[in-house]
Amino acid sequence: MTEPDLSTRVGPLELPNPVLTASGTFGYGLEFSHLGSLAKLGGIVTKGLSLEPRKGNPGPRICETRGGMLNSIGLQNIGIEAFLVDVLPGLRQYPARVVLNLFGTSIDEYRQLARRAEPIPEVAGVELNVSCPNVERGGIEFGHDPEILAKLVAAVRQETTKPLIVKLSPNVAAPHELGEAAREGGADILSCINTVVGMAIDARTRRPLLHTVRGGLSGPAIKPIALRIVFDVARKVGLPVIGIGGIETASDVIEFLLAGASAVQIGTALFRDPATPERILDGLRSYLRESGIAKVSELVGAVELPSDT
Amino acid sequence: MRDLRATVSSVEPHPLPYFTLHLEIAEDFLPVVPGQFVMVEVGERLEPYLRRPFSVHDLRVAGSRVEIDLLGKVIGRGTHLLSTASPGSILRVLGPLGRGFEVQPHDRVALVAGGVGSAALLLLGRQLADRRIPFDFYYGGRSSIDLPCRSDFEEAATASGGSCIVTTEDGSEGREGLVTGPLGEALEQGAYGFLYACGPMGLLAALAGLARDHGVAGEAALEAPMGCGYGACLGCAVPHVDGHFALCCKDGPVFRFDEVRW
Repeated sequence: MTEPDLSTRVGPLELPNPVLTASGTFGYGLEFSHLGSLAKLGGIVTKGLSLEPRKGNPGPRICETRGGMLNSIGLQNIGIEAFLVDVLPGLRQYPARVVLNLFGTSIDEYRQLARRAEPIPEVAGVELNVSCPNVERGGIEFGHDPEILAKLVAAVRQETTKPLIVKLSPNVAAPHELGEAAREGGADILSCINTVVGMAIDARTRRPLLHTVRGGLSGPAIKPIALRIVFDVARKVGLPVIGIGGIETASDVIEFLLAGASAVQIGTALFRDPATPERILDGLRSYLRESGIAKVSELVGAVELPSDT
Repeated sequence: MRDLRATVSSVEPHPLPYFTLHLEIAEDFLPVVPGQFVMVEVGERLEPYLRRPFSVHDLRVAGSRVEIDLLGKVIGRGTHLLSTASPGSILRVLGPLGRGFEVQPHDRVALVAGGVGSAALLLLGRQLADRRIPFDFYYGGRSSIDLPCRSDFEEAATASGGSCIVTTEDGSEGREGLVTGPLGEALEQGAYGFLYACGPMGLLAALAGLARDHGVAGEAALEAPMGCGYGACLGCAVPHVDGHFALCCKDGPVFRFDEVRW
């Protein structure tokens, strides 16, 4: 049979294949140029970008846990201007679509970021990191309050015609309610999930292993949580979903697609194996060929549920 | 930087908890600069999940056959698995990574190691000897077992025209106390034009202070928890004097003493 078709449409976002890299795990993209992955990816989501460069948290910023890791980088980044001027031109030669991950501490900062990205043709979409404290509202995360989230997304929507992705936090009771708020604000796509808040302690020294005490858990340890949230959000919100959380094999990707994701982002697995995306894409092609499936999109939401659920 | 499959030739035991892993690796790995490191994938399991960073301790090239040595200390599950790796098993090795030491012409230099930090300094010592730059090797450990591969360092120092000075905190070998003792005395005499160091942060900070006090420049290979080893995860922050955080893996692991806010 002919090669399976991996091309993917996630709402208004069109990708050569459904495999992207997750924000904060792929640097700005060029860090991987030596390793070959760049040429094969469906898309890259950049490290979170703010209006001004940020220096991030003191170390230790990461620690390993069983089946994953905790991080508390503190959103260190070079700022949107430096990214657009110094990094983005270097990514032009690759087919991977470039999605900017944006964050601010006020609605106005998010608006300015979206406005800055709007005229740049190489920017295929913007993803909002809403797991940041809102300084205007006593530090509550934008992504934890449906009312504030809807307002934020609506404000950004006014500034951008690009595909608008909102990355949902798993650290709330009902992530789909935040997804609904993002939809009302005008989001095109939801990505789930951001890291799960966690903690680690060194029993010997009695000290936390991260300088900031709490950090974001990622890696295979969070996959079942991510899969459940993707499933709920895809069914209840009615927006296309990008699945993220502990993905490291083609089988993981297929599970996320079946749960309702239209595409996926690979994160922490890249640290262990920078060639993870190629390995996954090869596995995905084999699976589709062997199963006689012509288009990868046929898998989206195709989980077979017991009749009484 | 390449991600290569390396074959375990053997694991050489030292007094516990230290070991040397001998790996056969493709020629593509070269060139390597002293002070550079590799990220080694350990096992197929979820624990450890991340690769482990190791300095390239030693290197042997015979035609197209390349062997590298990694000097390790068993701390957790990952290093335990590596210390018990079977000959013939395959490990993925990403490297060489980071910025290494810069060899500059000096009349005489000092290499200073705290414990297993010595792993970053043997290749450097060999290169100094090749360039006919004599060096003294200061090797400090908590106790006599914390001086792995001591004879290799002695040989390299002797070959360069220098010597090896050992200190232990418990006095079980060499002079009792910290390496900063004899090193400070030698610096007082104006013995060295440059310092190269690797070891725990506390030791490196003390060395940077000593060097500054004596108007001697130097470089240190630093350690930090690393997620990826090539600048993507931003996990290995090192406070830089200009106020930002440098990345140990990419901006380092070797930094000039005056680059780091100790």
